[in-house]
Amino acid sequence: MTATTHDHELTPRWRRYLLGAGWIRALWMFCLFGAIGFGLVVGFRWWGGWHPILNMSIITLVSLLVAAPIGFLAGIGAFDYWVYYALGGPTRPEDHSGHGARTWKDYFRVNTDHKVIGVQYLTTTIFFFFAGGLLALLVRAELARPGMQFFDTQTYNGLFSVHASLMIFLFVIPAFAGLANFVVPLMLGAPDMAFPRLNALSFWLLPIAGVMMLASFVVPGGAFACGWTGYVPLCSSHEPLGAVFFNQGVQWAGASSIMTALNFLVTIITMRAPGMTFWRMPLLVWANFTTSLLVVIATPFIAGSQFFSMFDHVMHTAFFDPAHGGYALGYQHIFWFYSHPAVYIMMLPGFGIMSEVISVFSRKPIFGYRLMALSLMAIVVLGFSVWAHHMFVSGMAPWLRVPMMVTTLLIAVPTGIKIFSWLATMWEGKLHFNTPMLFALGFLSMFVIGGLSGVMLGAVPIDIHVSDTYFIVAHIHYVLFGGSVFTIFAGIYYWFPKMTGHMYNERLGQLHFWLTFVGFNLTFFPMHIIGTEGMPRRVADYAPKFAGVNMFISIASFGLGASALVFLYNMITSWKNGPIAPSNPWRAMTLEWQVTSPPPIFNFDAIPQVVGSPYEYGVPGAQHAILAPAKTTELEEVPL
Amino acid sequence: MRRGSIAQLVGIGLLAGGIATAMAVFLPWLPKPASREAGRIDFVFWFVVIICIVIFAIVAAAIVYSVTHFRAQPDDLSDGPPIHGHTGLEIVWTIIPTLLVTAIGIASAIVLSRDDALGKNVLRVNVTAQQFVWTFSYPSANNLTSATLVLPKDRSVLLTFTSKDVIHSFWVPEFGQKQDTVPGIHPTLHITPDRLGTFPVICTELCGLGHALMRTQTRVVTPAAFTKWLQTEAAAIASPNAGTAGGAVFANNGCGACHTLTAAKSTGKVGPDLDKLPAEAAQAKQPLATFIHDSIVDPNKYIQPGYLKNLMPQTFGSSLSKQQLDALVQYLIDSSKK
Repeated sequence: MTATTHDHELTPRWRRYLLGAGWIRALWMFCLFGAIGFGLVVGFRWWGGWHPILNMSIITLVSLLVAAPIGFLAGIGAFDYWVYYALGGPTRPEDHSGHGARTWKDYFRVNTDHKVIGVQYLTTTIFFFFAGGLLALLVRAELARPGMQFFDTQTYNGLFSVHASLMIFLFVIPAFAGLANFVVPLMLGAPDMAFPRLNALSFWLLPIAGVMMLASFVVPGGAFACGWTGYVPLCSSHEPLGAVFFNQGVQWAGASSIMTALNFLVTIITMRAPGMTFWRMPLLVWANFTTSLLVVIATPFIAGSQFFSMFDHVMHTAFFDPAHGGYALGYQHIFWFYSHPAVYIMMLPGFGIMSEVISVFSRKPIFGYRLMALSLMAIVVLGFSVWAHHMFVSGMAPWLRVPMMVTTLLIAVPTGIKIFSWLATMWEGKLHFNTPMLFALGFLSMFVIGGLSGVMLGAVPIDIHVSDTYFIVAHIHYVLFGGSVFTIFAGIYYWFPKMTGHMYNERLGQLHFWLTFVGFNLTFFPMHIIGTEGMPRRVADYAPKFAGVNMFISIASFGLGASALVFLYNMITSWKNGPIAPSNPWRAMTLEWQVTSPPPIFNFDAIPQVVGSPYEYGVPGAQHAILAPAKTTELEEVPL
Repeated sequence: MRRGSIAQLVGIGLLAGGIATAMAVFLPWLPKPASREAGRIDFVFWFVVIICIVIFAIVAAAIVYSVTHFRAQPDDLSDGPPIHGHTGLEIVWTIIPTLLVTAIGIASAIVLSRDDALGKNVLRVNVTAQQFVWTFSYPSANNLTSATLVLPKDRSVLLTFTSKDVIHSFWVPEFGQKQDTVPGIHPTLHITPDRLGTFPVICTELCGLGHALMRTQTRVVTPAAFTKWLQTEAAAIASPNAGTAGGAVFANNGCGACHTLTAAKSTGKVGPDLDKLPAEAAQAKQPLATFIHDSIVDPNKYIQPGYLKNLMPQTFGSSLSKQQLDALVQYLIDSSKK
């Protein structure tokens, strides 16, 4: 320790700037690694006599999309600790120097504090939410009238492809990971996640993925334009280089997802406070436990599908190319084996948020706690047996359709149990309509519509008629916007006081809700109708009979877009100047509300002793946990 | 619960269900069916919609009733009753949805098997999809090919699909049925048209830049008219300059989906404007005839600035006969020089 401090005093300032972990080192290491990647490709091609030696697609892939990001991560300091040990450095006692945020600058470095990482996640994902939303508005601008107005087809296809990829991989999935990052260790009574450095790394992978997908717009030939599903052979052999930016972007985001999920699993299994049995965990923790199981099992499949699609594109392999013995539908099976569970990866954490918000703002225990937890597990198990319902018209073996329909329809049962249990939780409660509760009610009503149109899609004959039409577009937005995004908003408003130490502006929050709710329905409900009537999705030009409805949808969508500005304004001004938040503004029982807002660096002065359920509202004298300083000496024995 | 509140709940539920039913009845949802399969699909659609409306009404009633009746005053810090669950209720809302989805599953499976069951005297049609054009051929009539799909009314039709490049999807909204065309495999689709008329054929799987324009038409005609159409077409093919008229080659091969050509009344914008062929040939420093011929047979040889490589199908060199190719080149020379 003393030696290190001594060194620091002797090192000239410029050396510390250049060699210390941070943005300057990230910049030059990004370039250095990019150059190494470039050298490797050129060297090997020269040595092997392969012409042209300067093959731009291989160079872009190896140098820009693989090597340079690793350099960036190394430069920003994500690997410092591990490299130090890998090189045989002597054991250093943990000094927690990478922990906590004292100034705003601490949010821009590799930070191992789960609370800082949670906020980093959320701000980053909200940035990509706005980027993705802007792309959607450009799509709607083009669709306002039939024929082509603003963009050529390549750009248009790029707009909706990048919109979907950003919203799925850079907003919904990681926004939930960010909320859970902040909340789960606190709810468990743990000082941090199980692997804080892994946690930091999994955050820093995200901006790489996002920038990669956005950057595909400036690649010669245009952005990847084959939809977020990236179906082959279109994406692997008929697309410009931008397609590889999607293949690789998904890898970075997927790696981030897997690391976080492993971290959650280990944290939840091993770091629960004494007395926190599985049946005493808040449902948000249950939700993230089950989600993490899905992520860990399913995500490697999309990684595989994107690797092979990319090999087909760049190296001219033929995994999915029928002209050379490949099997085109193989891609879809592997892709949906991840991407259907991904629907639940994007929904279960939201279910968890709903259980917290509805119970607290109804002042009642959650109805049927155990069945709520078990239905999450049921969704995980069933979720792996329904993937081919995305492929009813794909040309796969016809006998596969009925079994997949049966499992698909059955998954409505555990989902229904959750909806009915939330309704029963509100029944005879004392309802307080703060913004989180408004979004929860908005979620309940919108998700029911999305769920019911999901049941319709589960029935094979209906699916045959409406698949790849605007009915699908309407359905997924009711599930992912009316479902997931509403729960994300609920979660952000609910934990905003805990994260920032300030209260948000309640009136602006309610305005945001109503604008979003109305704008959302006006935008997406009419899509059901034009879909069943005959308008296919992913087209820039359409039959004149749909012109009126499309103009209506486009105007509504701009209103919906404007509602997001209210949210942004509220978040920024409240974070800066909002009234100071008390520890527990919602009078909630879960552990994160029993500490200050924002919580101390290591969360709890003493490990809490959990003595009961987290939802005992209305039970006289009930307690979830005891945070008694008197117990400190006794509990210090517990290994962290 | 008091009787008054039950009445209120039922009232709200009926109102919500009524609004949903009105939207189901009065808004233009499904197109008017033109095949027996579409009729059965419509049955499943409305069967499921009715179940959905009932569930929606129940949920809406519960939400609206709760919001209006259980609202707490801002200064009311009391808690609700500590109800932790109710086994009976939980069993009910597990069993009833299970029964409902089982009913939906059974109805769907029956309709699916009936939609797939071929009738007597099946008419087979081979459908070929490529960027961005459909071609239909009739094996029973010497593989007669056509750019539009003509079908007899009330006869079982089995379409067999081939894709030359990427995945496309065949859909006629009025027929209800849909099938992806996947390179490497040959899926089939069964349709029994039962209404005379002309309907759009739409590609519904994103297949590249011309996806939105990959459309043609299907005509359902009487059996007598169908036989007559086959004879007329066959006679046209047997005649000396069969299908070699440049304009016919241009239309039958879907060139207009991507290219603008005033003479053919086409306005596609995916590929270069063919009205400007002389200027483009000059830009490529080639004689006009050679330039047109090479651009059809080997599209990647010269790429007009602003357009993408590998976009135009590279199959026309082999799929067009020499006469057809020559006629097409002559047609393009004549049309673009006007």
